[in-house]
Amino acid sequence: MRYALSKLAHGLFLVLGVTLISFILMVWFGPDQTYTLIGKNANPQQIAEVRHELGYDQPFARRYVDYVAQLFTLNLGASNSSGEPVSRILKRTVPITLALMLPGFILGNLLGIALGLTAAQHRGRWTDHLINGFSVTGMSLSFLVIIILLQVLLSTPYGLNLFPVRGWQVDDPGSYLKYVTVPTLSLILVTLGYNTRFYRAVFVDESGKDHIRTARACGASTATILWKHVLKNSLVPVLTRIMFSIPLIVISGSLLLESYFGIPGIGKATFDAITSGDQPVLKAVVGLTAVAFVLIQILTDLLYRLVDPRIS
Amino acid sequence: MTSDSRIWRQLKKNRAGLAGLLIVAVFFLLAAGVWTGILGQDWSDAGGGRWEPPGKEFWFGTNLLGQDIFQRSIYSVRTAFEVGMVVSIFSTVLGAVLGSLAGWYSDSWIDHAILWLKGVLDSIPFYLFVAAVAYALQGQDWAMHIAMIATFWTTTGRLVRAEVMKIKSREFVLSARAIGLPDLLILSRHVLPNTLHILLIQTTIAFVAAIKTEVILSFLGLGVHDGVSWGLMLAESTQEVLAGHFSNFLAASLMLFALLMGFNLFSDALQDAYDPKQAAI
Repeated sequence: MRYALSKLAHGLFLVLGVTLISFILMVWFGPDQTYTLIGKNANPQQIAEVRHELGYDQPFARRYVDYVAQLFTLNLGASNSSGEPVSRILKRTVPITLALMLPGFILGNLLGIALGLTAAQHRGRWTDHLINGFSVTGMSLSFLVIIILLQVLLSTPYGLNLFPVRGWQVDDPGSYLKYVTVPTLSLILVTLGYNTRFYRAVFVDESGKDHIRTARACGASTATILWKHVLKNSLVPVLTRIMFSIPLIVISGSLLLESYFGIPGIGKATFDAITSGDQPVLKAVVGLTAVAFVLIQILTDLLYRLVDPRIS
Repeated sequence: MTSDSRIWRQLKKNRAGLAGLLIVAVFFLLAAGVWTGILGQDWSDAGGGRWEPPGKEFWFGTNLLGQDIFQRSIYSVRTAFEVGMVVSIFSTVLGAVLGSLAGWYSDSWIDHAILWLKGVLDSIPFYLFVAAVAYALQGQDWAMHIAMIATFWTTTGRLVRAEVMKIKSREFVLSARAIGLPDLLILSRHVLPNTLHILLIQTTIAFVAAIKTEVILSFLGLGVHDGVSWGLMLAESTQEVLAGHFSNFLAASLMLFALLMGFNLFSDALQDAYDPKQAAI
């Protein structure tokens, strides 16, 4: 009970910190919207009215408290640029982003675990060196370079010309595959090097432990050792990495993929909101990401207990 | 603590690492050439025709405005080193200071405050944070650098904190305390030097991350404003490749890849030398 309370208090402080920093950056120092909202030749009175509506005439503390209160009551308001309610924007964009990012995220981690296990199993031999060389190459490629390269190779007449160059007109599984393939491959390529490197280190660490040596001495087969002993006992760091990269991949990764391919997901909506100073949208995205982070931390803690009864 | 001569011996045996160091050295010479005004000074001259193919006058061809892509990609080496050095040095120093304070005063309010700040910064999606800082400080040339420094220190901070907590119970620190040396003196003279290997490795990792982030930010319009960088060249090329002009893309991405590969190979060799348990011997 005490543990749960301290976790909750910790989470609350984290959310407050995230909202404070995002408030300072995006609202206090954010772009002034007065003149985007108002027409030309406005008189001083109209300007003052708009500024009052946006809360620009209020002191810092007052505006921050309002900002947090709106977030906690889920009163997200409407976008300043389009007038669309923020809750509707989220409902419209988040499913697209999940559909866009999930295949690459899952495959990138599964392939990383598979390659990491293989490298750890053949540690020091040519397979390990080959996989290692492959990861370093992947880590040295910029996300943007990978995207442009795959786009040219797969979606233009200079390459195979199999997929649409950009966009997102998805209404059935076939069109989904058509639009999701190039972004998915890009995401896999950009994360695979780092994933493989991370998982290999975890598995190598685990393979060096006494219980693995004992299992080997008892004559357990390589496959049993890998899957039953190494993988199962490394689940805590593996889970941690997967869980904590979810919010970052979904927002940060989708920001670039969606702006590049012109996909109307949450990443593009967020980027547009940053550049136009659309505070209600930013507030919702940053606030909800922070809340998601705290929830994920609590969920990860619960998962730890599930995979490793020693943690309590 | 492993001795320096042993580390150097390990490094010299690692051929990939040495190759990486050589690549970085060559790029550094190119950057020095640009700094001293010998190389790449005509990067903004629009002396050629539009999209000329590679040839004798323009080795890598020209871009939309008729600028020499070879000159631009060479000048960008300087931009990459400036971004990489400023961000990696400042973020590592910040991580060392905050991490060692948190580790030395562990479980005090200083530690809690630093851990809270780290937790907060880690919970904001990275590009979103960088974009917000770059936007909040718009017009400032250093917005991009500040955003990266503000987020990159957290990993170094976490590693240094853990190491300092280990070191502070060692005998030489206990005896320094016993003879009454002030905390900050012990920390800076006796504890921090023992985390140097972490700082060295983190500097190389931050260097790579900074150059990669610059590319993304420049594409998003939040990066380099004055001058030229591989990120800006790649941003230009996103439209050109669809029309079949690949010079900008190839020049920028190959130079970028070579420099990052050199740094990664060297960084790997450093990590293997300091932590042979993980190495693929």
